[in-house]
Amino acid sequence: MNLALALQLLIQGILLGGIYGLTAVGLSLIFGVMGVINFAHGQMMVMGMYISYWILVLLGLDPYLSLPLAAGAIFILGYVIQSTVVNRILDFPEAMQVLPLVAMGLILENLALLFWGPDHRSPSTALSLAAIPLGSATVDVSRLIAFALAIAFTVALFLFLKKSAIGTRIRAAADNRLGAQLVGIKVDRINNIAFGLGAATTGAAGALLLPLMPVSPHLGHDFTTTAFVVVILGGMGNLLGALVGGLILGVTESLATLVLPATLKQMISFGLLVVIMLIRPQGLFGGRR
Amino acid sequence: MAKDKSAGEGLSRRAFLKTCGAAGLGAMAISFGVPTLLKAQPKPIKIGSIQPATGPLAVIGQGQRRGNQMAVDFINAKGGIKSLGGAKLELVLGDSETKSEVGRSEADRLIKDGAVVLVGAFESGTGMAVATLAEQRGLPFLVDVATLDDITQKGYKYTFRIFPTSTAFAQRGTDFIKEIMAAKKLSPKRAVVTYVGDAFGKTQGGFFIKHFKAANTGIEIVEEISYPLGIPDLSGEVAKIKAAKPDLLFPICRPGDSMILTRELYKQRVELMGIISPGSPGWYEPSVVRDLDKLALYVMDNVPWVNPSSPVYQEANKLFEEKYKAYLDTNTGWAYTGVLVIADALERAASIDPDKIVAAFKATNFKDHPMVGDAVQFAPNGDNKNATTAMVQVLPEADPLKRVKVVLPKKFAQAEFTFPAPQLWDRG
Repeated sequence: MNLALALQLLIQGILLGGIYGLTAVGLSLIFGVMGVINFAHGQMMVMGMYISYWILVLLGLDPYLSLPLAAGAIFILGYVIQSTVVNRILDFPEAMQVLPLVAMGLILENLALLFWGPDHRSPSTALSLAAIPLGSATVDVSRLIAFALAIAFTVALFLFLKKSAIGTRIRAAADNRLGAQLVGIKVDRINNIAFGLGAATTGAAGALLLPLMPVSPHLGHDFTTTAFVVVILGGMGNLLGALVGGLILGVTESLATLVLPATLKQMISFGLLVVIMLIRPQGLFGGRR
Repeated sequence: MAKDKSAGEGLSRRAFLKTCGAAGLGAMAISFGVPTLLKAQPKPIKIGSIQPATGPLAVIGQGQRRGNQMAVDFINAKGGIKSLGGAKLELVLGDSETKSEVGRSEADRLIKDGAVVLVGAFESGTGMAVATLAEQRGLPFLVDVATLDDITQKGYKYTFRIFPTSTAFAQRGTDFIKEIMAAKKLSPKRAVVTYVGDAFGKTQGGFFIKHFKAANTGIEIVEEISYPLGIPDLSGEVAKIKAAKPDLLFPICRPGDSMILTRELYKQRVELMGIISPGSPGWYEPSVVRDLDKLALYVMDNVPWVNPSSPVYQEANKLFEEKYKAYLDTNTGWAYTGVLVIADALERAASIDPDKIVAAFKATNFKDHPMVGDAVQFAPNGDNKNATTAMVQVLPEADPLKRVKVVLPKKFAQAEFTFPAPQLWDRG
């Protein structure tokens, strides 16, 4: 076993896991509150990537600076999707909730194809090539920043839900929709905000990923499935679980490269998913619902 | 009824074409002063184009459609198929979404829509599926781009291919690598091969490795790394490359992963004499050359490239640049050639009967194409006997659209090759 290689893979796995976590946190929040699975999640992240790409190309603003704008724009997108589509389908059977959101994903993907074409766009940003040498290993600076911000955002979101007035209302609506309505909470509006927040985190993830990988319209689909695996791993609706789930998946995938070809990467993540479903269906950190 | 619906869709397009045709005829009538306005225009001949216009290969698929369409426009501007009364060509579009099963059903739809010849499919899996369908339906299929050897080895009667096979790529690639090392008196010892895990990548990679190992080059392939198509992260794979301490990297990529791979090689400071692709996309596309900029320089790629001194190429490329702000490359160039070869066969067949078109394909001797290599001629199994490759290299030049140059063979060379390449991080 090559120790230097193992160390490098471990570092990369942890950093990648943080990003997985951030993409999954939003999905987990949306599921936790509304009980719907946002199948357009990856595509929303790609929209976030394109927005920060646009800002970079047109205004020369680095993705880290345009991150609030990307997150804000995707918040609005999420808010609109929730108020126009998802609020109407909340009481539908689960199988029927899936379709409008899958459709939304396809619409977003094809909108991206329409606006930006099929090219893989990978603009050079200030830090896209920066790396810190660490003995024989190297630490990728943009990955490190993405990792740190991913943790910061998750913690901030967690505190927001626990401490703020809106956060409390979101939790109330998640707990008991009818009860929340009875005490005078405008549940539809709270749902819009919750979906918007979930979407905003994935938009922010998009901005953080722009220096790391070329953006193209089809990229979203894989991230939706990865986020889905992470959320199930960590426990549906559990934000910190999503972060830990992301880390576990990132490290497992990365270390698996030591013994398995990367073509089998998805087998690792879905194999993990099946194992979790069999022995702990509520996820590692999910309580009974 | 479903049929009525498709006929309804077709009508508007046909009406549009009729208007265009009428306008053209009107212009002709005016210029010649002959009252031909009422003469019936022959029905357009439909060519079904199946390309991966969406999905992970969309950037290439869209280019392929453009290549096909531009050749259709070129033939129509020259008066269509003369032996069929000047019948115009019409490209009907199918999108394989980079999935072979979708490609097959799209091809079937195009046949129902009245296509008499199929062209495509870029992605080898789709090419295989469409070849099987063409055989079942008894309709000629011209593979403009796809390398998988198997496509033409099933004894199919209706499938022809103008592009080189993976075997041809492996042989030429190995020879070029030997030639480069001999010319620069270098003797690298270790190499890593990476390949994307789709039908193309596995065959292209597998054949190259097999052939290279048998060729006694003195270079040992110390690691083979494969990864799935559309992978968003290659940091683990590059860590493995670094651990293998290679002198050379032989990557078989697609446009997205080549960019991730190169940036990751930079970030992890992997020292190499150079990057030489045994033949794959991902290195010569305008978007890659533009976005990677200095990092894309000095990469070599063994591909059936355009022939810079061909007048057909110069004319087509000028038009392509004006229209799409991109140059004809190995894929779009062959997509363009594919439709020209079909038009040539239709002209000689003087019929849209599938078997007559097949007979015409068999007798093809098509010289006026824009690519490297001699006239297109088909062997009994349907492969182009004269398909060959050139070594191209991305060289410094202010205009990114002019950076990709043929460096080998000498006969077609536009520039001397630079090897070994400066390290990625030593380029100022």
